[in-house]
Amino acid sequence: MKKQIFRSIAFLGMFSSAAMATTSIEWWHGMGGNLGETVNKMAEEFNASQSDYRVVPIYKGTYEETMTAGISAFRAGEAPHIIQIFDAGAATLMNAKGAAKSVQEIMIENGYGFDIEDYVPGVRYFYGDDKGNMIGMPFNASTPVLYYNKELLAKAGVQPPKTWEEFEGIAKKLKAKGIAAFSQSHTPWIFFENFHSRHNIMMTDQNNGFSGLPKKLNYNNKHLAMHLTKMKEWKDKGYYNYYGSNWGDNQTPFEKQEVAMWFGSSGSFGGLKKSTDFDFGTTYLPYWNSVNKDAGTTFIGGAALFSMAGHSKAEYKAVAAFFDYMTKPETQYFWHKETGYVPITTAAYELAKKDGYYKANPDAEVGILQLSLDGGEWTKGYRMGFYPQTRESIYREIDRVMSDKTSVDNALKAIVKDGEKNLSRFARTVK
Amino acid sequence: MATKRVQFSHSPIPYLFIVPQLAIIAVFFFWPALQALYLSFMLEDPWGLSSQFVGFENYVELFSSSEYLSTFAFTLLYSSIVTVFSLGVALVLAVKANAILRGQSTYQLLLTWVYAIAPAAAGIMAYFIFNRNIGVVPEFLNSFGWDFRPDTNSFDATAMVILVSVWKQVPVNFVFFLAGLNSISKSVREAAQMDCESDSRRFWTITFPLLAPTAFFLLVINITYAFFETFGLIDTLTQGRPGGSTTTLVYKVYQDGFIGADLGLSSAQSVVLMLLVLLLTFVQFKFIERKVHY
Amino acid sequence: MRQEKLFDHAILWVGVVFLLFPVWLLFASSTHTTETIIKEGLQFLPGGEGFGAYATALTSSIGGTEIATGLRMTINSLIMGIGFAVGKIVIAMCAAYTLVYFRIPMANFLFWIIFSTLLLPLEVRIVPSYEVVSQLGLLNSYTGLILPLIASATATFYFQQFFKTVPEELLEAAQLDNANAFKFFIDILVPLSKTMMAAMFIIMFVVGWNQYLWPIMMTTEEAYYTIVMGIKNVLSVVREGRIPEYNVAFAMIILAMLPPVAVVILFQRWFIQGLVESEK
Repeated sequence: MKKQIFRSIAFLGMFSSAAMATTSIEWWHGMGGNLGETVNKMAEEFNASQSDYRVVPIYKGTYEETMTAGISAFRAGEAPHIIQIFDAGAATLMNAKGAAKSVQEIMIENGYGFDIEDYVPGVRYFYGDDKGNMIGMPFNASTPVLYYNKELLAKAGVQPPKTWEEFEGIAKKLKAKGIAAFSQSHTPWIFFENFHSRHNIMMTDQNNGFSGLPKKLNYNNKHLAMHLTKMKEWKDKGYYNYYGSNWGDNQTPFEKQEVAMWFGSSGSFGGLKKSTDFDFGTTYLPYWNSVNKDAGTTFIGGAALFSMAGHSKAEYKAVAAFFDYMTKPETQYFWHKETGYVPITTAAYELAKKDGYYKANPDAEVGILQLSLDGGEWTKGYRMGFYPQTRESIYREIDRVMSDKTSVDNALKAIVKDGEKNLSRFARTVK
Repeated sequence: MATKRVQFSHSPIPYLFIVPQLAIIAVFFFWPALQALYLSFMLEDPWGLSSQFVGFENYVELFSSSEYLSTFAFTLLYSSIVTVFSLGVALVLAVKANAILRGQSTYQLLLTWVYAIAPAAAGIMAYFIFNRNIGVVPEFLNSFGWDFRPDTNSFDATAMVILVSVWKQVPVNFVFFLAGLNSISKSVREAAQMDCESDSRRFWTITFPLLAPTAFFLLVINITYAFFETFGLIDTLTQGRPGGSTTTLVYKVYQDGFIGADLGLSSAQSVVLMLLVLLLTFVQFKFIERKVHY
Repeated sequence: MRQEKLFDHAILWVGVVFLLFPVWLLFASSTHTTETIIKEGLQFLPGGEGFGAYATALTSSIGGTEIATGLRMTINSLIMGIGFAVGKIVIAMCAAYTLVYFRIPMANFLFWIIFSTLLLPLEVRIVPSYEVVSQLGLLNSYTGLILPLIASATATFYFQQFFKTVPEELLEAAQLDNANAFKFFIDILVPLSKTMMAAMFIIMFVVGWNQYLWPIMMTTEEAYYTIVMGIKNVLSVVREGRIPEYNVAFAMIILAMLPPVAVVILFQRWFIQGLVESEK
């Protein structure tokens, strides 16, 4: 409290023109580089647009580090007003009764109104509770897509693959020209979670964790085992280049044209545009025809903005005003254009279309189109406690599979063992 | 007893002088240490909203986890290799520096400044030097036919972490060895020179035994270094990867406690570490100091 | 004999180069453009860009907002290094004074209480230490950054050992009573300990400056970032697949190394003394 006063005094000193009534709120995020600059721009614009509220964006490092900082701060009673929590960590927050205050509630309480139907179908329920209330605002929603180097594919006379069956033929032709087919930047996200969504396969009991606390993890299924076995085979054949568990180490080879294709995030689009000087295209995540010939939508990844509990009414009012600004079609469109993250409201999507953005940049629409594909029983999302730790186990085991230290079967067994231990420990902490 | 014979008599003044130290120790040492012990018997949700007593479950969980046991094994292996190599390199350098007459202080300067570099800074620096896109080491090793891939190959990653850890630790060992060598009195050295003609025999029969206390003392310093101080180096260089192969015990405390948000499990690991340090200290006092003749 | 000497020098030079090479490589590269580094990798020889990258590093931040500039982080690190060194020396000297010169009840017990802090590094009690600091409302403060680190008693033992070597005649000659206890401390012990204090200061400054894990956990506001933790952002940038301004990033890393290295080189004699004494 004392600190808040000091802070306000400091602000008053710095912005003597600001009215006494300015409510200042903190927004912790994990957006570095270009993304961070865009975040700062949006906050500045919001602050300039009115004089009652002031939002202060604070970069906290990676998603994991941001979440960790948030947890520590909450325990210390110093939680920020708004925090960006990534997909895998959301369950840890949403299951904790009294840690976050629902976005929907905040908006309604402060008279902004809220209609979940305003949001694009794919993002609507991912950060919602079992009753369909939105808890976190899906701020930077992305989904895994395939980027391809047009020139390299043309060299081998191939088109980007729609299915993994097609991929095998394409990779062979690329290999014949001395080109490695692909690298990918996030095994747990792209080849575990979204593999299940794309093929409509169950991830956990309790309706993927939406109707209760799950105990069973379904990763040891024959489809995933088949896919990972193939991945290892592709690596050995030189179709797939594996550069370890870091995002960047796997993205750079695509930028340096060492691989023809790269699986990354639709949110990487803006960055790639700046870092590459060759012509690249974007398309859907391939699927296995043999697993599900009607493959559908993927999960949204990225992160959502949550409002932490325990702040004053005036502060929530500021949060509501800021969220209102963030969901405005213009703001969303700006964010979408700058970064490649998908627009989260239908209105923003319509605005982008009307503006002719996709006519000029058809690739920018791929993410949102993929998220608009038909869904199934298991494509709404997933809700797993302590899941960031399970992701660490996935990284670890895949490292081992790719360096011949373990078999796919044993890796999946180890992942399920760790994952279920995390699930059951987490379930016991929820009261 | 540690006090002097001539002392001030009883008054409140001495308490005034020692209270700041005791207060800081109580608040920032004993309180957290006891809390770690307490938390290690609890299962708590990340946000601190609920907490329950689970007895020894966290410890059972730890020692039945093959990951934890392999981390344990790695830490022991890693710290022994780092200790042996950094002691070895430093000893050679110290002996050579001691042998030359002129320029000893210049060499001392040039061989000790690395001490001042933070392990985390050393790790970041090494990250770039070993980076496959811009670094020089992978290229160099490739030219020898070593397909150096620390991002995916656990042997390469381990070798890299060990090399950087040794680099960072050589100066401390060098300082102590050189000080040890300098303190071997001139007369002893002269007598030795007369007795044994051979340099290497003289070293092994006379100098080395006299250096033994220093070496054993450094052993403990180096193990402590490899256990605890390398955290920043590992966090910046490999993050314990690939496949968890460069994860030390301290790094795992951090991963489980911070990234994983599982305080109970992480605290149990802290307590295990405390016991290890106690054991190490005990060994230092009981065995090593007795075996070595000063 | 002469050949042997040459051989000795050669070995020593191998050691010198082994230690210097990586830092030199980074320094040389920091004077090139980012484009050169992307295209040709790290550089062995200095380039034509001079110290421009250092100016940029001091005035900009990597990753974060513009609050945590290189200069700001350097100042924070200085506060941390100096605050830690001074705090530790003052508290340690006072405690050692009591232990050596006064007969107080339970002195033995207090000695062991203080001694036991040497056993457990901050790393193993870091989670609860964070909780304690947060409960005291000291997150994001220099006090919170520094105090928990002072809780180990290395310096106390160092001064205790030293005070024991101070000739007892001094105390006898002073003929002091309780009223003069402060005077004895300030007028006689402190001046006598000057070299010791300097030596300890060098070591503690380096230790304080180089802290990494503790500031990472404890500072959630960029205004308190230290440079050693701040350079971690360089890695976040790279690991997320973005290309940093390499020359600025390297300049920042060199800046993070420079002050403690300079102190150790400039005050080499005190440094050696401090190192040998403090670790004993």
